[in-house]
Amino acid sequence: MLPNSDDMDVAIRLKGVYKTFNVRDKKNDTLRDRLLNGFSVSSKREIIALSDINLEIQRGEFIGVIGGNGSGKSTLLQIISGAYVPNSGGEVAVIGKTLRLSLGMGFNNELTARENIRINASLLGLTFREIREVMDEMIDFAGIKSFENTKLKFYSKGMRMRLAFSIALYSKAEVLLLDEIFGGVGDVAFRRKANNAFKTGLLKDKTVILATHSTSVLERFADRVLLLEGGSIVSQGEPRKVIEDYLAGLGEE
Amino acid sequence: MRDSDNRIQRIWILAKHDFLQRYYGSSLGVIWAFLNPIFRLAIYYFVFAFLIFKNRDPDFVLYLYLGVMPWTFFAESTKRGMKVFNNKRYLIENIQIAKYDLFIAHIVSVAFALAFNMAIYFIFRLFFDVELTLHVLWLPWLLLNLICVGFLASITLSTIFLFIRDLDHVWDILLMAMFWTVPIIWDQRVIFDHYSFMLYINPLTGIVINIREVLLYGRHPVYDLLLYDLAFTLILAAGSLLIFKRYAKYAAELR
Repeated sequence: MLPNSDDMDVAIRLKGVYKTFNVRDKKNDTLRDRLLNGFSVSSKREIIALSDINLEIQRGEFIGVIGGNGSGKSTLLQIISGAYVPNSGGEVAVIGKTLRLSLGMGFNNELTARENIRINASLLGLTFREIREVMDEMIDFAGIKSFENTKLKFYSKGMRMRLAFSIALYSKAEVLLLDEIFGGVGDVAFRRKANNAFKTGLLKDKTVILATHSTSVLERFADRVLLLEGGSIVSQGEPRKVIEDYLAGLGEE
Repeated sequence: MRDSDNRIQRIWILAKHDFLQRYYGSSLGVIWAFLNPIFRLAIYYFVFAFLIFKNRDPDFVLYLYLGVMPWTFFAESTKRGMKVFNNKRYLIENIQIAKYDLFIAHIVSVAFALAFNMAIYFIFRLFFDVELTLHVLWLPWLLLNLICVGFLASITLSTIFLFIRDLDHVWDILLMAMFWTVPIIWDQRVIFDHYSFMLYINPLTGIVINIREVLLYGRHPVYDLLLYDLAFTLILAAGSLLIFKRYAKYAAELR
């Protein structure tokens, strides 16, 4: 149930949110396909990505989202970021600017790190002057000093993620949506930096939603954890308890 | 900083990088923005003045240029504009950004090239016996009309392209057909004398004719065409904004 609250400190509120996708097994999007298959029975299937999501997140809260592959974690973040439109009837309210961090985060592969910082930081509310002031700090934090003028298409996953994380820290985004930021990045130094950022209050005053499989990070830093299964929130609350529910579902202790 | 200032900054930085990115990796860089129209003009002039029409009137160069320039803007803005949702998906998915801003930035970046071309025209004309009259004051209006048509066509095409992937090929063919409905390389007097219905097939026709009227011939624009183009743009605006408002919200979901 959605808490009945008009609290000014609420940063995100979702009410009765459903999200379905229509998936065609053979795409019918070219004129040829439409002409050939236009009158045949459609092979369209409906996939339920999110089902009856009711959620309220306070400003400055650190929320963990956990669940198996295809449970709806990324779709939930995309709905909150405004990239996806919920089915009719669902309500999504987000106060403040959001930034979603994922491996492919708002980067142009043909531009250098400095240029991408300029674009992204600008889109996230920093003035040119502020960008100039923090540019070197961002590059240092990301640990990419010797590659600052290299096009991003030559970057490794780890370097991209460090850069994304660095921009997020210095941005004026009030809501950070971290989508599997540790996934596929075997960079211990980055994990340490991210953990330090969580620990030392670099994300203070930002509302953070972290979708991850890393239970240890959630246990250490999350104020609350949501467990998603088949697009529904099946458990939420104190991290340790929800993680136990998750692991029990996987048949682990 | 006010939000409107920040919005202008956002649009400016997106437009600037969009423009510069086209020339990345090439040795001459942005100089190509100047060289491209000059070479294009030289080729057209050689082919039409020497091989086809045998029209070696020096002013024919300027006549050609003032047809090629707006056409190139329209073709570039629509062809690139159609892919804005695709090419900028990385932003739509991750950063809250008004989708209109992506298209404004796109059209500004294409307009940089138009501004380069315009500057080249004013340098060129110094070498010709062409009088500049006060009617040149109509030029900003005509260019604004052209930019609006490019912008509106871009948002419509980009939205439709989300649903119909063949559109870029269809648009290539349509552009090829439209090119010949506009008096870019053929004599615009033919339209007035024999085929007046063609004035109203394509809004570019009126814009090209009027740009020549005010810049090349030093005359006032053809007011009928001016009004027709304004009406066309308003109708296009109504249709484009309707389609965009209804379907652009699915830009991140459709692939």
